[in-house]
Amino acid sequence: MKIMHCPLNGPRNISEFVHGGEVREMPNPATCSDREWADYVFYSDNQAGVITEWWLHAPSGYWFIAERHTVTDEILKTYDPSEIFNQRVEFSKEDAAAPKEATA
Amino acid sequence: MSTMTPESFSKRSFVYRQLAGAEFAEVAGGALATDFKNGRAQAEKSGLLDLSVLPRTGFRGSRAAEHLKAAGLPVPAKPNQAEQSANGELVLRLSMKEFWVLGSLADNGAAIDALNQRPLPDSDCYALYCQDSHNWITLTGAALPETMAKVCGVDLREASFARGAIAQTSAARINVIVVNHEVKGIPCFSILSDSASAEYLWESLLDAMAEFGGEVIGSNALA
Repeated sequence: MKIMHCPLNGPRNISEFVHGGEVREMPNPATCSDREWADYVFYSDNQAGVITEWWLHAPSGYWFIAERHTVTDEILKTYDPSEIFNQRVEFSKEDAAAPKEATA
Repeated sequence: MSTMTPESFSKRSFVYRQLAGAEFAEVAGGALATDFKNGRAQAEKSGLLDLSVLPRTGFRGSRAAEHLKAAGLPVPAKPNQAEQSANGELVLRLSMKEFWVLGSLADNGAAIDALNQRPLPDSDCYALYCQDSHNWITLTGAALPETMAKVCGVDLREASFARGAIAQTSAARINVIVVNHEVKGIPCFSILSDSASAEYLWESLLDAMAEFGGEVIGSNALA
């Protein structure tokens, strides 16, 4: 049985966790191009080496960040997302009211 | 009174079909199994009790702890810890900002209804409705860690899972919240799980308990 260390709950069976994709910086949705946004939403780098990923501990609904080596599948470190994300992301009302025109 | 059945009410426990033969009492608009004619001795040995109809509620947000304190409830200092109020409510801290409050048999959960009537702080605190989403059953008796070891990989023995501890993990392959507490001197593990899997978990636990002489008990066994 493979064990992952959840920052909230401690060591747990890997079957309790769900992979959530790479941690990436969000481009500003109001100013970025459609290509940049699509890149952020749909594509992953798929690097060989140490990457930073989102993981979910399903029984507690807790999201956290893990550093994992994609070649050896070794989990090097797990920590609470507040270490990176320390303020709430607000999407302004103007952006929501006037969405960017779809490009053909 | 003896003719009361869970079917007398539209609010029912998620496992009410498994409770045939019990005596029931009306609790919070549903039927709670109070007696299976096996009493406190069975609860001390190995018992399984359904508390699903008993009220429970939850709060989330950075001001949730403040809201509970204002209501006179104890607030556990760290996540995955539980504290019991003087009236018997269990306050569970599931993360830094999430709390559940489980009603007490002493007042049939009336304090939870009162808590739900209190106005919430104007920001950063909102209610969670764990009454209908989650099933609440309680394992009792002397063989709790041994019973759970048959369905769960986490070490729930006294040394690593003391009274007041909470484990959020999977048992019998479904997600559960296990709370270690005590009712009138009887050790209890209260288990909250997805309501849709309630009957499955009920059967699984009864199967695991059989080795230790476990039986379904009513709430009077904890009196």
